[in-house]
Amino acid sequence: MLDNIGPQGDATGMRARVQAFGGFLTNMVLPNIGAFIAWGILTALVIPTGWLPNENLATIVGPAIDYLLPLLLGYTGGKMIGGKRGAVMGAIATFGLIVGADIPMFIGAMIMGPLGGWVIKKFDDSVKGKIPAGFEMIVNNFSLGILGFLLMIFSFLVTGPAIQFANNLVASGIHVLIDTGLLPLLSLINEPAKVLFLNNAIDQGIYYPLGMQIAAEAGRSIYFTVASNPGPGLGLLLAYTFFGTKKARRTAPGAIIIHFFGGIHELYFPYVLMNPVTIVGMIGGAMSGIATFQLFDVGLVAGPSPGSIFAYLALTPRGNYLGIISGVLVATVVTFLITSFILKLTVTAAEGDEDDYEKSLEKSKSMKAEGKKVLESKNDTISAENISKIAFACDAGAGSSALGATTFRKKLQKNNLEDIEVEHYNIEDVPEDADIIVVHKNLADRARRSHQNKRIVTIENYIGDQNLERLLDELK
Amino acid sequence: MLSQYLKGNIKFIERVSSWEKSIKLAAEPLVKNKYIKEKYIDSMINNVHEYGSYIVLVPEIAMPHAKDAENVKKTGMSFLKLENSVLYPEEKEVKIIFILAAKDNSEHLELIADLSSILADEDVLKQFKNVENEEELIKLIESIES
Repeated sequence: MLDNIGPQGDATGMRARVQAFGGFLTNMVLPNIGAFIAWGILTALVIPTGWLPNENLATIVGPAIDYLLPLLLGYTGGKMIGGKRGAVMGAIATFGLIVGADIPMFIGAMIMGPLGGWVIKKFDDSVKGKIPAGFEMIVNNFSLGILGFLLMIFSFLVTGPAIQFANNLVASGIHVLIDTGLLPLLSLINEPAKVLFLNNAIDQGIYYPLGMQIAAEAGRSIYFTVASNPGPGLGLLLAYTFFGTKKARRTAPGAIIIHFFGGIHELYFPYVLMNPVTIVGMIGGAMSGIATFQLFDVGLVAGPSPGSIFAYLALTPRGNYLGIISGVLVATVVTFLITSFILKLTVTAAEGDEDDYEKSLEKSKSMKAEGKKVLESKNDTISAENISKIAFACDAGAGSSALGATTFRKKLQKNNLEDIEVEHYNIEDVPEDADIIVVHKNLADRARRSHQNKRIVTIENYIGDQNLERLLDELK
Repeated sequence: MLSQYLKGNIKFIERVSSWEKSIKLAAEPLVKNKYIKEKYIDSMINNVHEYGSYIVLVPEIAMPHAKDAENVKKTGMSFLKLENSVLYPEEKEVKIIFILAAKDNSEHLELIADLSSILADEDVLKQFKNVENEEELIKLIESIES
């Protein structure tokens, strides 16, 4: 929110930027957690090693994680930068990646989605006001189409080789570490690689074949456990359950069930992506897990797939239970502790915003009961810095909002404030990148409902309203 | 642009009995000249019932419109001036009514831009509130059109 961004020194400015970036990632991932859960439940149930194997339904699993989930992330990312057009562009750009790679493209989607949104936003900004009347529709559609086409090809051509490169890097790194004999160090590569959705590539491609060679002679191998331990994921999700942001707290418990008992590790990946620093906790936990397995000299008889606690116990040879269970537990506890610490450091500030917001909402509610001056006091507390887009909104998004926007734009031009964009929308379609929403006071409640974290200026008169005059003064 | 659209869709009337009536009367030429279907009038009235008089843009001037493109055949605008004002909800006096019918999201923006030029300039607005017949109105609008 704008409220707390004021003039800052270098250090706090840096921290604010890091937080803003973290908030951006969170906002891109969180709205889509439901889709991850839907996919996780399906997968835990119907895959051949699941609870209710069903070959027919299992055909959904692959396409859903390859297409649906990355597209949702790319769409959301694009929308956050460039509104509705950005969303479409984000999805187009993401699709190139998906087809260009043979693993799920989550990180890629989180880069290409916002990039797509940015490209179309820049284009729209550059042609604004230069399109002859009547040609808007054709210019809009073809600009998105042509830029989308280019971006789709770009992301298709770039990702294939990039993924291949990452794969090779990971594989050779792992082999080097195995040669050192210091197995806990493997986590340094395993955990980031897993979150990059290379989890199957490293398990099925490297560790399980290695484990099978050893298990053929010794009856068990530790290699089956180095990347499949469900402990770290459990620790991370528990930490989010207790110390995450409010929204994350609500979803993490459900993810625990699907991850730990269902063995679908992908469920915790988004939580790492939301706050990338937490990878430190994952590495720490996984290392301690491997060290514990080594200490007890235990292993599994085969590769657990999916990596749930039940698969672990089922594949534990007799006499190894204590070691295996300890390894999972130690990993859980270590990850939990480190991640909780990280979350406490990074979340408190963001959470403070949230609480402030709740408070101001409370305040505005009680004010509304008293009089009709709904949110004006909140307006006063917000600094005018960094305002780049003002959205006039009304029911249709065509009439009064257009009139208000046109007039206000003229006023800004008179005051040489041409950097500030003024657009009109219907209330529900105001894009995320709008800093202020101007709306008639009768529609303020509806605007508040759709845009809870935005500053809303209420007016009674579309031209020369005193709140508009105040806003103008503030922007000068 | 605005003057072109308004020609033939202008009315001057002494008084009306209710704000609903004022919207109906103002929209009549648009129905007759096949810009909108009758239903669009109900949409505009319902809109005011639901959200109040937010369509009163500045004192005395209202621009009823609705999100109901289905019942709009082509983009258009009509004008009604009342000699005696009528009360809109929330005790708002209105003398001038522009009905806006927008077919898509962009075509009507030039109309809006012209309208905004009238409303934003105090001198023009004053003259505008005092026009007495179609000819004067068109002349005034043509003078501000670029």
